[in-house]
Amino acid sequence: MRFFIDAVAWFYEYFVFFYGLVLFLSYLLLVFLSMIAIRKYLKRNAYTDNDTIIYSPVAPGVSVIAPAYNEELTIISNVHSLLTLNYVRYEVIIINDGSTDKTLELLIDEFKLVKVDFAYDEKIATQPVKQFFKSTEPAFSKLLVIDKENGKSKADGSNAGINAASFPYFVCTDVDCILHKDTLVELMRPVIQEPKRLTIAVGAPLRMANSCDFEEGELIRMRPPRSILPRFQEVEYIRAYMLSKMGWSLINAVPNVSGGLGLFNTEIAVQAGGYNFQSFAEDQDMISRMIRYCCEQRIKYAIRYIPKTLCWTEGPPTLRVYLRQRTRWGQGLLQLIVTHIRVFFNPRYRRLGMIVYPYNFFFEFLAPIIELTGIIYMTILALLGLINWPFALLIMAFAYSYSVLMSTIAILWDQLTFRNYRTWREALGLCLMPFFEMFFYHPLVLFCAIRGYIFYMIGKRHVWGDMQRRGFGRSTAQPHYEPAPAKIPQDA
Amino acid sequence: MGVVRFIKGLLLNFRSLPLVIQLSLIVIMAAIVFTLIAVLVMLFYRYRRYRREKKLAKLIPVIDDLIFSYISYDSTDNPSTRYASKEEIITRLRRSIRGHRQLAVNRLTEYKKDLRGNMSQELNELFLELRLDRFCLRKFRSLRRFRKVQGLTEFAAMGIPVADAHILPLTHHRSREVRIMARHAYIKLSKNDPFKFFDVSTDRLLVWDQIELFRIITTNENITIPNFGSWLTYSTNPSIIRFCLRLVVHYNQTEAIPAVVRLLDTRDHELRAEAINCLGKIKAEQTEDKLVSIYNDQPPRCQAEILKAVGRIQSGRYVDFLTNEFLYASDFRLRKNAAKSLVNNSRMEPGLIEQLMATTTPENQLILKHCMDPLIKYV
Repeated sequence: MRFFIDAVAWFYEYFVFFYGLVLFLSYLLLVFLSMIAIRKYLKRNAYTDNDTIIYSPVAPGVSVIAPAYNEELTIISNVHSLLTLNYVRYEVIIINDGSTDKTLELLIDEFKLVKVDFAYDEKIATQPVKQFFKSTEPAFSKLLVIDKENGKSKADGSNAGINAASFPYFVCTDVDCILHKDTLVELMRPVIQEPKRLTIAVGAPLRMANSCDFEEGELIRMRPPRSILPRFQEVEYIRAYMLSKMGWSLINAVPNVSGGLGLFNTEIAVQAGGYNFQSFAEDQDMISRMIRYCCEQRIKYAIRYIPKTLCWTEGPPTLRVYLRQRTRWGQGLLQLIVTHIRVFFNPRYRRLGMIVYPYNFFFEFLAPIIELTGIIYMTILALLGLINWPFALLIMAFAYSYSVLMSTIAILWDQLTFRNYRTWREALGLCLMPFFEMFFYHPLVLFCAIRGYIFYMIGKRHVWGDMQRRGFGRSTAQPHYEPAPAKIPQDA
Repeated sequence: MGVVRFIKGLLLNFRSLPLVIQLSLIVIMAAIVFTLIAVLVMLFYRYRRYRREKKLAKLIPVIDDLIFSYISYDSTDNPSTRYASKEEIITRLRRSIRGHRQLAVNRLTEYKKDLRGNMSQELNELFLELRLDRFCLRKFRSLRRFRKVQGLTEFAAMGIPVADAHILPLTHHRSREVRIMARHAYIKLSKNDPFKFFDVSTDRLLVWDQIELFRIITTNENITIPNFGSWLTYSTNPSIIRFCLRLVVHYNQTEAIPAVVRLLDTRDHELRAEAINCLGKIKAEQTEDKLVSIYNDQPPRCQAEILKAVGRIQSGRYVDFLTNEFLYASDFRLRKNAAKSLVNNSRMEPGLIEQLMATTTPENQLILKHCMDPLIKYV
């Protein structure tokens, strides 16, 4: 028995050691990859003029799809904002997903909407669509409003929008997100600059809108959030987008394009079945299916990320909402792995099978489990008095200093690229967050991930709850879709 | 004190420590050093940028004022003229831009975008007077490919002719970006044969490339527009053929119709669809029979384009064909396209739409209403 316990302990310790080593090396690799990707992006875009693309009749058209559920306080200003994006060939499709408030009535009044007979082709199955509206004002001719029965998820609303989309590309966003005016042109750049492959999806960073200044749907001043939870999230987003997503983008192994903002190829998305309304991680699930479709049809695809922040979204304002959102992401990750189990190490699915899913499994799904088992193991050893504390603390300091370094490098990349914050104090203030992250924020992430796995295994259904929006300076407590920003890699 | 003693002990006994601990110590040290460096670099870059912006905030209005004075200079004894001569302005400008020639190039190219006619010519004159052409030309010899691209972009933006000998070697550069920008610059600036690349290029024209070339070709008044049909026949590069089809449509080159018709036999169905689209847009009525005759052998994408083309041509000769497709096609998209074309042809066949509305299925009625609604832009 004693021998068996010793063998297990020996195996576990070596496994954790090599696991940690590979994980840390992969982060180091991402640092270099992201640096190359960002430099490439900046150089390539230094000589291309946005106006040429914006006003070109040759540029591909884009449909902007934004599902709305009980958004009466923000809908009007946000739709106005979407209608003034800088691009010539685009349409805006707002899906009123069975709102119980005055979302639809307000839209009808503001945009002079009238009911039209729209020949709707249900390429992707959704809840029944009731009616379509177009504006009688030429200024709003780009707008199409779809009124449908509530599908209890953003995915269902988005699918209705995809079915009605007229253009070869669509941008999916949340109606409560604030987009940069050049969002469409910036997202189209990787599509039109891609030399050899078909770009099937493009993503861009999302950031916390909590303390930023907005005027008429446009960002005036970007600030790191003042509240502690969104502030940690800001650092997490910077790390996830500037290091992880940009790094993966360089080798065409992007695992996910955010549900908050992403551009997709309409035809491929339809062929892949659109968003799965039963998925907890519908954005990552759709990307996986799009890639699978491309691999099966032998289409050379590309998924790209750009480092420029184009979208600002409100972070969960309370711990309760945050925990619920993150638990859902945990459920989503496990569900995704189970759903696409056939992809693992399957060379047929190229990078998806050989890089994305193994990485997801080993370093995103397993990381919280290993961490939890590590805590339990350490506690037992501590109770038995078997820990060499000086050495244990040294190894903890190693993990801590390394994680601080990674976050600081991510902030450095962000600042060198765009200098998003006006004052050096704001930037430096953000650099302090990684020092506290491991003590306050990381335990929350770990807890939610484990909770999500357990919920998934016991089959607990996710309930769409109240995401109490503060609405960029306004106050509201209506039920909304929970935002689905990027599935942030837990340790990236 | 205890911590210091502990660290001191570790460092003194470093060699005798286990490998894992040795590695950890090295990584901790490296992480602390690199974190500090990262923060310092960030602050340094911010400070440097701040200083630069502050400097530019002072310099830009001065340069802008001098540029504006130059291009709007009135040689008559107008009391509002602040400078004695244009030479004086140039001298002042030269002094102001010492060490900031790139800034002067940026300002001039920015102005050039918005100005036409005499003022635009004056900007070119100023560019040459300030010898910025030499400054930009030097970039062609840079080892860094993005410097070359920058130089090419600046010449193209200013529209200042450059000897072919400078640009042509860059059109064969190993970097795709340099090749693309050299091509754009050549088409815009060359006096000899701007469309020479269409004959020799084997590179695939990116969508970006097409957007930029389309802008250059359609906005440059000095280019003699050739018959793009010739490349439809002889080019072996499908992306150039696709681009030429767009130009044929833009310039409504009906003389290119025979060349476009030949593309209907190509094996590439995407290219075939674009050829059909082109025929529809230039209203090539003489090709309508051929389009309808090949309809049944085509994939859905080409079928949809044929239906659209018949609708655009509006001869009214194939209303029966359209009606048949509208009523019996199984593909929703084909029915929609057929309906739109029927609506376009309805002037030729009065009463047809009403008759269809009265007899067809509710779904087809909805499609017809969709196509007739002026508020709905896209089919």
